[in-house]
Amino acid sequence: MKRFFMTIALVALTAVPAFAGDTIKIALTGPYSGGSAPMGVSARDGSKLAIAEINAAGGIQVGDKKMKIEIIERDDEAKNERGALIAQELASMSDLSGIIGTVNTGVAMAGDKHIMEKGITKIICPAAGSMSMMQWVDRPATADKPAFAGPKDLSIFRFAADDGIQSAMVVEEAINRKYTKVAVLFDSTNYGVSGRDDMLNQIKLQGNKLEVVALEKYNIGDKDMTAQLVKAKSNGAQAILIWGIGPELAAVANGMAKLGMKEPLIGGWTLSMSNYIDNAGANGNGTLMPQTFIEEPITPRAKKFIEDYHKAYKVTRIPSPVSAAQGYDAVLIFAAAVKQAKSTDTHKIKEALEDLKEPVQGVIALWQKPYSKWDPANVDTHEAFRRAQVVMGMVKDGRVVFGNEADRQKLIKEAAGTKRK
Amino acid sequence: MTASVVPQLIVSGALMGLVYALVAYGFQLTYATSKSINFGQGELVMVSAFVSLTLTKLGLPYWLMVPGGLLFGVLLGLFVERAAVRLALEQKSEGWILLSIILGLFFFSAAENIWGRDDQPFPTPISSDAVHLFGISITPLEISVAVGVFAIMGLIELFKRTTLLGKAFEAVAADRDAAELMGVSATRTVMLSYGLSGLSAAVAGILVSPITTVGPTMASVLVLKAFSVAVVAGLESGFGVVLVGLFLGSLEGLTSFYIGSGWREAPGLMLLILALAVRPTGVFGKAVIRKV
Repeated sequence: MKRFFMTIALVALTAVPAFAGDTIKIALTGPYSGGSAPMGVSARDGSKLAIAEINAAGGIQVGDKKMKIEIIERDDEAKNERGALIAQELASMSDLSGIIGTVNTGVAMAGDKHIMEKGITKIICPAAGSMSMMQWVDRPATADKPAFAGPKDLSIFRFAADDGIQSAMVVEEAINRKYTKVAVLFDSTNYGVSGRDDMLNQIKLQGNKLEVVALEKYNIGDKDMTAQLVKAKSNGAQAILIWGIGPELAAVANGMAKLGMKEPLIGGWTLSMSNYIDNAGANGNGTLMPQTFIEEPITPRAKKFIEDYHKAYKVTRIPSPVSAAQGYDAVLIFAAAVKQAKSTDTHKIKEALEDLKEPVQGVIALWQKPYSKWDPANVDTHEAFRRAQVVMGMVKDGRVVFGNEADRQKLIKEAAGTKRK
Repeated sequence: MTASVVPQLIVSGALMGLVYALVAYGFQLTYATSKSINFGQGELVMVSAFVSLTLTKLGLPYWLMVPGGLLFGVLLGLFVERAAVRLALEQKSEGWILLSIILGLFFFSAAENIWGRDDQPFPTPISSDAVHLFGISITPLEISVAVGVFAIMGLIELFKRTTLLGKAFEAVAADRDAAELMGVSATRTVMLSYGLSGLSAAVAGILVSPITTVGPTMASVLVLKAFSVAVVAGLESGFGVVLVGLFLGSLEGLTSFYIGSGWREAPGLMLLILALAVRPTGVFGKAVIRKV
């Protein structure tokens, strides 16, 4: 409650209008407290790192003058209703250039419509489920819902590996490891069930090379996974493909250790979060999940980013490296759009984002035309990540490292290649 | 492998069932003396676990932390009695239902604000490396849960049956007014039962936390199942809850294996409905004889 009043007080203080034209105002939002905080805080701090670098170099060249970035920061506490309030507040700011943030799908669903109505440019980063973008896409009529026509113009972009890419990679990994029998585990939330559908669909798309010998569900709060795991084990599953959130993933890993199961756990990127890694301890070793960034200084750029982050925030491990790197790159892409638009006007920045002329060198990749003109029939127009920018990560002694040496070598080679250019 | 599947499922399920039973026992203790139960019992489990975790983080060794956590549980139980139950009982109202729910919500929000919403690991000196007995994998941690549940319930039952204070329990349970006339303070006895109920909640919290991790929502599932166990067993019988807990836990394990993991909760609910239809006072409950 105290924090709530303090937030109100802070809002009141920062709401005093600055002189328009002095700075580029960017809002950073996300859960900076509560269960999703590792992602929110890492993304914010990654973004701030990029902003500090830009400002230290004098700012962004906007037309004929250099302008610095001013940060507006809002903690949505992963609560949908707070997310909606913050979105309304930001939507009412006339001189806001853009918004970077949001972790939770519910928060995006509750707030983004206000931002979209005003046409304010927002990059959803570092997470939020696919629904946060799919809500703007055309949908045919179904039994209980009429057809939906998405908006012709959209100011919301997403900067995260979507669930479709992730599930494709999970299935691909199992096939590459020459498994033929897998168990699919999922939690009973929307996230878990849609993950199950995605994975089963991918198994079909990738040639039915995997036989699902156990399709098992569990509920949020379940701690005893013995029945599900015994079924997987006795039916001869060689790997467990899993889609879930929170500590239940750790309960699965711990249950597997108890039953003496050595099969790998492969699943969505939630497996890289501290509430899995810390609660599973040694039992989490070998777990595989798609990642957009691995905290290993394999390239000079990655090394500098990791060192800067550790130094600036006095940590030895980034709470969520993926979020931090995405927060960093999102700012760089946004800054490139401001430069190209030659304006701080959020509508012009949106148009520039949809047609970025110059490639942006980020810490994750070299971004060439990450976005294109919004098409309500094709969500990929406002999605930056493709399969090529995502690698497989693996838990090892409390950290996430590269799951496949090939990915690591590929990134090193690419970095060397861009330098030569 | 296949031969040991059934015993493995039964043992793992039964262990969870014992935890349901311990929480259900907390309901049963207070119901026996006051015909009231604490609907926020799950939050007592959770808050006691968090306090124990904090004690551990302050550097207390495990064997000192346990009594500290237990003492806190007792105090919390007494607080619930004073704040939510006593006045309502004195006025012969059912206000304790709402008041105990409200207190539970209050504890929940307090925990969210003090300890955050993350689930945290709970350190324990007891090993979680599985040992294999007759083809069944079981961890010493799980064995400690079973031992702890039986120990605390055995001690409390022993206390109730052999000491004078324990007899007061039975007296107040049988007839509050008559007990008062015999010089037994009903208020004190109810207080004591809430203290013991808090104690059993704290034991549950400390025992299961290393397995379940500690978080504000850790007990929400437990408490629902515990309630089914308490109702099916009948709110009168201490050892009835153990039997029903064991039965329900193993049934859950077997159902999710043989019928499907989506049906895990179904047998418990069917049992609940059946019990209410056939024996409203519970399988081990005493039939209500009401003289008019």
